[in-house]
Amino acid sequence: MEVLESGEGQIYFQDPDEVRAWMRDHKDRGFFDKTITEKEAVEKFVDDGDYISYDLSSMVRGPISLEREIVRQKKKDLWLSAKFTFLDTTLLVGGGCVSKIDIGFAGIGKVLIDAIRNEEVHVIDWSNGTLAARHLAGAMGVPFIPVRGLLGSDTFKTSGAKKVTCPFSGKPVALVPAINPDVAIIHVNECDKYGNARIYGPSITPVETALASKKVIITTEKLIDPEEIRTNPGLTTIPYFAVNAVCHVPWGAHPGTVPGFYAYDTEHLNEFFKIKDKDEMKAYLDKFVYGTKDNADYIELVGGEARMQELVENETIKEGYHYGG
Amino acid sequence: MADKPYFTDVEFMICLCGRLLEDNKSAFIGYGMPQIAAIMAQHLYTPNLCQVYEYGAIGPECATPFKRNMMADARNSYRAVCWTTMNPLMWCAQGGYIDYGILGAAQVDPWGSINSTFIGGTYRRPKIRFVGSGGGNEVGSFCWKTIYLMNHEKRRFVDKCDFVTTPGYLGGPGEREKAGLPADTGPFQIITSKAVFDFDSPDKRMRLIATREGLSVDDVLAETGIEVHVADKVETLEPPREKELQYLREVVDPDRVVIGRVK
Repeated sequence: MEVLESGEGQIYFQDPDEVRAWMRDHKDRGFFDKTITEKEAVEKFVDDGDYISYDLSSMVRGPISLEREIVRQKKKDLWLSAKFTFLDTTLLVGGGCVSKIDIGFAGIGKVLIDAIRNEEVHVIDWSNGTLAARHLAGAMGVPFIPVRGLLGSDTFKTSGAKKVTCPFSGKPVALVPAINPDVAIIHVNECDKYGNARIYGPSITPVETALASKKVIITTEKLIDPEEIRTNPGLTTIPYFAVNAVCHVPWGAHPGTVPGFYAYDTEHLNEFFKIKDKDEMKAYLDKFVYGTKDNADYIELVGGEARMQELVENETIKEGYHYGG
Repeated sequence: MADKPYFTDVEFMICLCGRLLEDNKSAFIGYGMPQIAAIMAQHLYTPNLCQVYEYGAIGPECATPFKRNMMADARNSYRAVCWTTMNPLMWCAQGGYIDYGILGAAQVDPWGSINSTFIGGTYRRPKIRFVGSGGGNEVGSFCWKTIYLMNHEKRRFVDKCDFVTTPGYLGGPGEREKAGLPADTGPFQIITSKAVFDFDSPDKRMRLIATREGLSVDDVLAETGIEVHVADKVETLEPPREKELQYLREVVDPDRVVIGRVK
């Protein structure tokens, strides 16, 4: 197959056979209790230099408590997959944890934009759809997947895609390489101790990201009985053998929302949005991240159970989410 | 001198966009103006408009009022017909199921390529850096008809974008197909705060087809930094209707998060 054009972006890529062997050896099919704390999970499963992927964003059912823990532990040199992201990139870049970002959507705020402009982080522009497709290829165990986007754009040139002539249609098509992240962090509604996870509501690529990634940390609002999983298996989004760690983290998406359960903490978000330079970012991190020892401690600081109950009440739309039913 | 407008530029663009959408068609919607336009259209004109969102919501009847950050949350996803995830949603678009796309742009070139990545400086050291493609590249590559919403400023119309985030007609008819993009897709109309352009010209260069009330063709061309075609008959755009403004201001966006206030 003739390569007509190549994007210039650096790619994180592993041979599918190496990934398969990893999954054979490190993703145990045994049913055993994987519950640990977030601190232990990040110590054990997030290494400096890792390629990291999260599902959805810090605004909606995001793993932002794990992101705070990553900042707390001062992880370095991470390469982020910023497909459909918001505060996540800003928080992790602000915490000095990031050296590269694959951009679907860059995230927000002056701190992040300054870091990009000053080349403190190296960016590689893709699109949300192509980053999602790369996770799909990674989950499928194939080295690439063809897409009909990126073509004719500068986004193609900054990406690591290749344009080839399709051997079937004879037309040009873009190939995007599989991504198999070192670590995935995913916040879910409910999960059992083995890692069978339920997500209620739409999302980005939870299944693809979990299956594609070499180490998977799940945080869950509720820890449920494995028997409950077996009585309604159609609700399981991610099967246990994809998962390495399960952390029970109530209110783990705060200040974001978990749809159908609790609403955004708009006041806290507005405080975050106001951050406009490194000093203000540091003050925020000092107070809410370095100044708290874990998520429970953080939740106390932002108003505790009383505030969380307000956010539950603020989430007036419940229909379509399976809580309690 | 025209009377002081009783509506904002954003309201003007939203109303034009809302009227352009068709009933019983699907539209790929992004945050902000496109959301408001689709919500208004669904309520006033096109009850069976199927909104789709990149995060996997198909056919929602979004809760009103619109709230800041209403993206992928329960209000955005309310009363959808299907909740799925990004890849299946992109399959719908790539597979030909999505009729309209609506995008904002920082720059546009004569053939409708748009930039939402950076302006000025270089890619590595940009003067102004934006969020990048998001789902924009897919919207503009896959939807049958893509509508752009853009504040009309001379500097936004350029002969060459600083960065082509999402491709337009790439210099002429057949060029999209030659690049490998799905056939018969591309920008449909550009709705600005002063005018509407389409691409219904033999060379696929943008064409002025309508101007805002009180603005002549020359007024608009003077504020458009590139050479464009002008339709034989340039229409005058109908300003926002009372029922549209009432719905926008009282129901959809009473906090004026997106539509703003008349100054």
